Parts: sequence; C-alpha cells; structure tokens
Amino acid sequence: MASRLASLLVGVTLALASPASAALRVVASLPDVADMARQIGGDRVEVTTIAEGGQDPHKVPVKPSFVTKLNRADALVVQGLGLEHAYLPALLEVARNSHIMPGAPGYIDSSLYIKALEVPESMSRAQGELHALGNPHFNLDPSQGKLMARAIAEGLERVDPAGKDAYEAGLARFEQLLDRKIAEWDALATPLRGVKAVSYHPDIAYLARHYGMELVGTIETKPGVPATPGHIEELIQLMKQQKVKLVIREVAYELPLAQQVAERAGARVVTISSLAGGLPGTSSSYVDFIDANLRALVAAAQAAGGQSS
Amino acid sequence: MGPDRPVSRAAAALVALAALTAGSLARGETQESQISALKAELAATQGELAKTQAALDALEKKVEALGAAAPAAQPEPAQQTARIVPVNADNPGISFVIDGQAASNTQGDQGAGFLLGTGELFVSAPIDPFLRGYASMNGTTEGKFDLEEAALVTTALPWNLTLKGGRFFADFGRFSHWHDEQLPFVNRPDSLNRFIGGESQAEGVETSWLAPSEQFFELTVGVYNSMGAARFDDPDAFGTSSGQRSFSELNYLVHPSTYFDLSDTLNLELGGSYLSVPTDAKRALYGLDVTFRHQPGTSEFYQGTVVGVEWLWNSERFDGVATTTDPVTGEEFSGSGRFRRDAGYAYFESFFGRRFSLGARFDYAENLFGPKDLTRTYSAFLTWQPSEFQRVRFQWDDVGIAGPDDQRFTLQWTAFIGSHSHGFAAR
Repeated sequence: MASRLASLLVGVTLALASPASAALRVVASLPDVADMARQIGGDRVEVTTIAEGGQDPHKVPVKPSFVTKLNRADALVVQGLGLEHAYLPALLEVARNSHIMPGAPGYIDSSLYIKALEVPESMSRAQGELHALGNPHFNLDPSQGKLMARAIAEGLERVDPAGKDAYEAGLARFEQLLDRKIAEWDALATPLRGVKAVSYHPDIAYLARHYGMELVGTIETKPGVPATPGHIEELIQLMKQQKVKLVIREVAYELPLAQQVAERAGARVVTISSLAGGLPGTSSSYVDFIDANLRALVAAAQAAGGQSS
Repeated sequence: MGPDRPVSRAAAALVALAALTAGSLARGETQESQISALKAELAATQGELAKTQAALDALEKKVEALGAAAPAAQPEPAQQTARIVPVNADNPGISFVIDGQAASNTQGDQGAGFLLGTGELFVSAPIDPFLRGYASMNGTTEGKFDLEEAALVTTALPWNLTLKGGRFFADFGRFSHWHDEQLPFVNRPDSLNRFIGGESQAEGVETSWLAPSEQFFELTVGVYNSMGAARFDDPDAFGTSSGQRSFSELNYLVHPSTYFDLSDTLNLELGGSYLSVPTDAKRALYGLDVTFRHQPGTSEFYQGTVVGVEWLWNSERFDGVATTTDPVTGEEFSGSGRFRRDAGYAYFESFFGRRFSLGARFDYAENLFGPKDLTRTYSAFLTWQPSEFQRVRFQWDDVGIAGPDDQRFTLQWTAFIGSHSHGFAAR
C-alpha cells in the first residue's frame, strides 16, 4: 500500500512538472523590479510578477497561484525595506523553497544600496503602520532606480554566475538608458522645484527630495491609517496657510477624498502611480512609469501655478 | 609657466608704457609718435591677454573632461544579501488578540451582557534552519485558559513536503482551522461547532505536499488522537479520550485542495476533506468547501467580494446516547446507533472603501446524534476597520430553533497587540 502511494505521488509529480526551462525562473514581487530584472537579465531570465501596477503594494491579495510560482523560482526579486510585508512572508512560509527565503542567495533585495529616508526612531503603532527600515517607496525617484538595478544585477550574478558578463552588460545598458532619461527628466521637472504638495500616502518622499518639492502633509492620518474627519480639517487649514496647490493622489487610493480635499483647499489633484504600470495606458516599464508620473506632476504644477497667479 | 607669463608681460608693458611716456615728455618727442607707440604696446598687451584667456579656457575644458571621465563614486559593496527587519534572535514574535463582545438575545437567557470572546497569546519563531514552532494560548469569559496549539513545523524537507507535529488545528475544511478572530463573522457557524466541535483542535502529526506544478494542488494527510476542541473538552462524550489506543481508533485525515485563476480578478478555490476513525467504521466525516473571490485590486469604492460554501456529512456510531424519542410521551430511549447527519453554511462578504465590509450568512446544522434537531441561522454582519490592527463588527443572527426564533445582536471589538501578520491559511 505504502509503495503504491509513493509510486502514485512520484507519478503525479512527474506528470504535473512542466518541462525544464533553460532560463532562470525569477519571481518579482512588484512590476518595477520585474522590469529591471528583465532589462538586466534579457534572455537569461524568465520573470513573472506577483503584484500589478495599480494595486496598493501594502494590500496585495495572497493567492495560491503565487505559491506555485515561488515554489519553482530560482530567484525572488523584491523592492525591499518591508514594502512587501503584507503578502510576501505569508506566501514564502508555504512556498517550500529555501533558496529564495530572506538571507538565501536567491533572495534579491533591490534596496541594498538605498539610503532610506524616514527611518523611525521607535516602532510605536501610535505612529501608524511604520516600516522599520524606513520609507520603502524609493522606486519613484529614478536616481534610486540606478541603485536598485545594481543590487538586482549583483543578485542575478550570485544566483547564475555563468551569466555574469550578460548581467553586467544588461546593467550597463540600463544605467545608460536611465542616465539619459534622468537628464531629460531633470530638465522636464524644473517647474516642480519649490512646489508645495500633499500626497495621499507618504510615498513620494524620495521623488520630492530629488525634484525639490516640499511635502506638507498626507491625507492619511498616519502612514497606513485612513483619514479621520478631524485630520482632514486640519490638513485643509494647513494647505490654505501654506498655499499648497497640489494634491498628489496615488492611483491605488480613492479619488473622491483627494478631490474633496483639493476642492476645499483650492488645490488641484494629480494622479500618479507608486508602481510601474499603475496609470491607465502605461506599460509596466520602469522608464515609462517615471516618465508618466513626472509629466503628470509637471502639467499639474504648471496648471496650479497658472491658477494661483 | 602658462597663464602667469602673459600677465607679467602685460605688467612689463604697462611699466614700459609709463617709462616711455615720461621719457618722451622729457625728450620732447612729438605727440603723434607717442600715440603710435602706445597703440602698438596696447595691441601687444591685448594679444597677450587673449592668449591667456584661451589658455585658461583650454585648461577649464581639460578639468571638465577629466571630471567626466572619472568613474562615479560607487557605493560601498553590500555586506549582506538582504535587508531583513531585525527580530530579536532570542525572542519569538509575540502577539496578543483582544476580542471583547457585547451581546443580547430575545430567547433563552434573555437580556444583554458583555464577554471576553477571546484573549489569545500567540508566539512563533524559527527554531533552527529546519524547524519553526508556534503556540497559542487562549483565555475566555468562562475563565478557562487553554493551550490551543503548540506545534512544530518543518521548513526544509525535500520534495515539497512539510511535516507538522504536536497540538494544532487540523487542516480540515476551510474555517475549522482558523482562529476565532480570523473569521469574517462574530462567531463560528453552528454547523462547524456541532460537526467539528469548534476549532479542529488535534494532537498528532500532519504532512502536506505541494505539487511542483504551475497549477496549485496541495494534499494534506494527518493522523490524530481526535479532532475538535469539544472532543478535547469532553472526550468521554465522544469516546475518544486522550491516551493510547489501537491504530484503527486513531483519526485519519485526507485533504486535497486546488485553486484556479478564472481571470485577473476572479478565482476559485476547491477543497475536499475526509476524516475517518476506521475501527468498526466508527466515524466518517466528509467535507467539501468552495470559495469564490472577486479581487479587482481597485481604488474604487467597491473593492471585492468573497463567496464561500462548506458542507459536511457525518456518519458516526455513538454508544449510550438517546437514539429515539416516544412521539407521545417524549420519553427518550438510549442505546447505540449510527447517525448520518448534514451541516453546512454559505456566506458572502463584500468590501467597500478601505475600511468597510458587509456580508450575510446562512447556516444549517443538524445535531450529531440523537433525535434529529435542526438549527437554521440567518445572519448579517457589518465590519468597520479603523486601522489594520483593530476592527468593530456588528452581527445580527436569527436562530431558528424549537419555538420562536432567537434574535441575537452582537457587537464585537477586536484588536491586535504586537506581531501581526496575515498567514496564508487565513487568506
């Protein structure tokens, strides 16, 4: 009986196992790091993504189909700094793949070279849903994108040493592309310098630092904590005092409240995405993501400037 | 040499010019010749200055070129492969759940009251590279403090296998292995309370296998002394008290489950469960669960729906229990007998905004043994989640039992202290 059962299990395993692929199986937690892994790895990698661009990265549903992807993965690429804490630990716990667990060679953390902003001094939940390692939304700043790409390339080399030259070449190409685009974006985003804004969630800290924007507050009461009526009133008063003309609403967050705040404070709402592919009509390309966000912000800032003058 | 040479020449020219001027005045030369000489010297000086400027421009370009050619400052090489949230190496993750309730009902013990639904301490940590452990201890209004779970789980077995041992909630069906605070309702459905005995608490071992395929398929098999918290609390009533017994008196479980992505936003989960006590075919409990989810991943007001159905069939032999009732006198006759009974529930829950959900449930529960006693319960529930770590839920139940229906109203306030994460099982 036992041998029959064992034979059955082996048979089912062989039947269900799909043909081996020569490419490195890479699972990416988010579309930004997925695009970078594709750009760097080229034909050597086969990348699948867990979350989609329009989703709130803090609330990605835990689907069993993600478990099978992780179970068969050679490498897992994450954005890091705890951004995936709401879904990835639960998936990894049941994925039965020790090669991609945190700390294992196949766990590729794109945040390795990021100097985190807003690292909390204490982890009291009275301050909201804090990330212990700092603000994890560095992907919105393209200058951080270069550091992410470097960490990903090194991770791919670690998992697949034979592809070292290919990954280094892929990294060089991607860095050149980003350098060229960053120069364009820096020129494009000149009107953002000194612009005061509020965002829905505190996820544009890195972007604001790079382009010289001034963040005045968030619609959320605290990180991850929905707005309360009292907080909204205080925020609107603050916006009026500070003459804030821009409300940045990330596409995963509700529009009506952002519109209400903007209307009452005499500001404009601009919708951006915190992940690649989040804005309707955009691809999951990291470059397109940054480009779409900046164009939207610049257009809104210029319109708001015209409105206020 | 370089840039300072033309400057010194210019200075010399100026000195010469002054001398020339003084000399010429002294010598009484003509004004015209003096002007000519001055013009010549001035032209020479301008030429030297132009050369100096050109040399300076060239040097500046060289410096810029050198700067551009120099490699950009590289960050220090990483000394780690991942940034992991620091957890005290010696202490486990600890959480405590507080679940307070206010309830009232119209039948039975009428009136209103407060109770502690659960105060549950949960600890969990890796033990070594091959094993993790967890335990949960639960206190309630009844004053009972119970070690609900204390289990070890392997983390590095080959062939996609996981082995669990100790006291834990057996992997039967969908909700029977969920803790109370993880349920989408205020209370556990009566069908599960009657057929499983609350949570599927068990002592034994369980192994699960994940098929190495794109298609999710998981198979769990387990062997336990018994299954169900009620059988722990009152083992003699079920004849499955703890202690040693023959292998055929143990409880054996088989639970396959699978999952389908019907589209980007729709998915379906199917599970079947079978629990058997082989000796004299004492017990056979079958379960089927279906969960359908719409998860649009949107920021619109409507954010998704879950529909779940679970049905159970139980065939069990009981000794020394009421088997029949005299329809005239109501007298009960005791004896041994096999009882085949059904139970189950169906529910939906829809999510709105980032904080609200609304749902309804129907529950059908026959009793496990004795003359058939059926309870039908209709429920509606509304949940508000001010943050990730607390929620308030109101539930109305219409419980159809003998006599007028009991109307129950419950307000539940639940909060999570400490380490809190959503496990895969409670998805």
